[in-house]
Amino acid sequence: MSIKEYGLLYWVVVGVLALLVASPFLSRVLVYPRTEFFTELWILDADHRAEKYPFNITRNQNYTVYLGVGNHLGYCAYYMVQVKFRNQSQEAPTSFGPIENRSPSNLPSLFNVSAFVADEQVLEVPLTFSFDYVWDESLSKVEFLGLRLNGVWVNMTGYSVSWDSGKREFRGFLFFELWLYNSREDAFQYHGRFVSLRFNMTVA
Amino acid sequence: MRVRFCFILLFVLVFSFFGFSIPCFGANGGDALSVISDVEGRIVVCYRAVAEADRAGANVSSLLRVLNEAGWLLSRAKVAYSQGDFGSAVAYANECGSMLDGFVDEADGLRRDAEAAARWDFMVNFFGSAVGAVCIVVGGYALWVFLKRREEIAERV
Repeated sequence: MSIKEYGLLYWVVVGVLALLVASPFLSRVLVYPRTEFFTELWILDADHRAEKYPFNITRNQNYTVYLGVGNHLGYCAYYMVQVKFRNQSQEAPTSFGPIENRSPSNLPSLFNVSAFVADEQVLEVPLTFSFDYVWDESLSKVEFLGLRLNGVWVNMTGYSVSWDSGKREFRGFLFFELWLYNSREDAFQYHGRFVSLRFNMTVA
Repeated sequence: MRVRFCFILLFVLVFSFFGFSIPCFGANGGDALSVISDVEGRIVVCYRAVAEADRAGANVSSLLRVLNEAGWLLSRAKVAYSQGDFGSAVAYANECGSMLDGFVDEADGLRRDAEAAARWDFMVNFFGSAVGAVCIVVGGYALWVFLKRREEIAERV
């Protein structure tokens, strides 16, 4: 029996062994580097679905939604979600085009939700809210008194929605703007994303 | 005369209560803003510590839970401040601050542990694995040459 006759088998065994031992090294080297860094922002209904969002709002009635933030930025991020309300005549923030060209709404934030999310992790915050408002029948508009968000009373004096005769509703939008803390500038910057809920404030 | 004196005394007492007692024992806007700013700064410091720990590969989920709760309390403090409820604003901000006591030390500890684990992991799984594979190939070649030579000597004999 000659060793040369088993040459092929010998080198196959050596190669397989070397590959097995090198597999932890190769698993780190032969990985495509991440090229896309982004954040997900979503809103789900009370059943964790994108189906039955609250629409017809009754005064002082509680509604629940889930606000989610998914971090794919490559580092642990400090987000701030600004909760704002607008009527149909006020401008919405923008969320298309290059991020640096997107602009937030110029309306003041009613409440800020801080969100610290590790890389490749998700944070979901349940939000239970109710509106208190009165119907000004003579001016045909709804005047807001306040928003109760997760038990926190927020004053909404000065906010109002007018009657939309086309859609036959008192239309308002509760929207959530995503801001990201920039460590270098020690400030929050609009992260170019927002989600919005459209409401009809019922007055019956 | 006596009635007038009682009225004056009552006026002085009421005035001193509203004009002196409340500002002394309650928080004013400046105090509340200062406490909120301090806590806001502490949250940023804690965030930086936890981000460093996360970058080192530590499991920071429990720290992030604390930070998210602290952030919620800070938001409540800001809402209370904006509504002129300075007492509640200070109370929420202080509660938030107390949640962050020892936070940076804990994050730094986790970071150090993760860095040590990462060094060990690098030595075993990266460096060790590469060196081991090279050793197997070189050793296999040496054994092959050795066996071949031994066979050639045996053939000559």
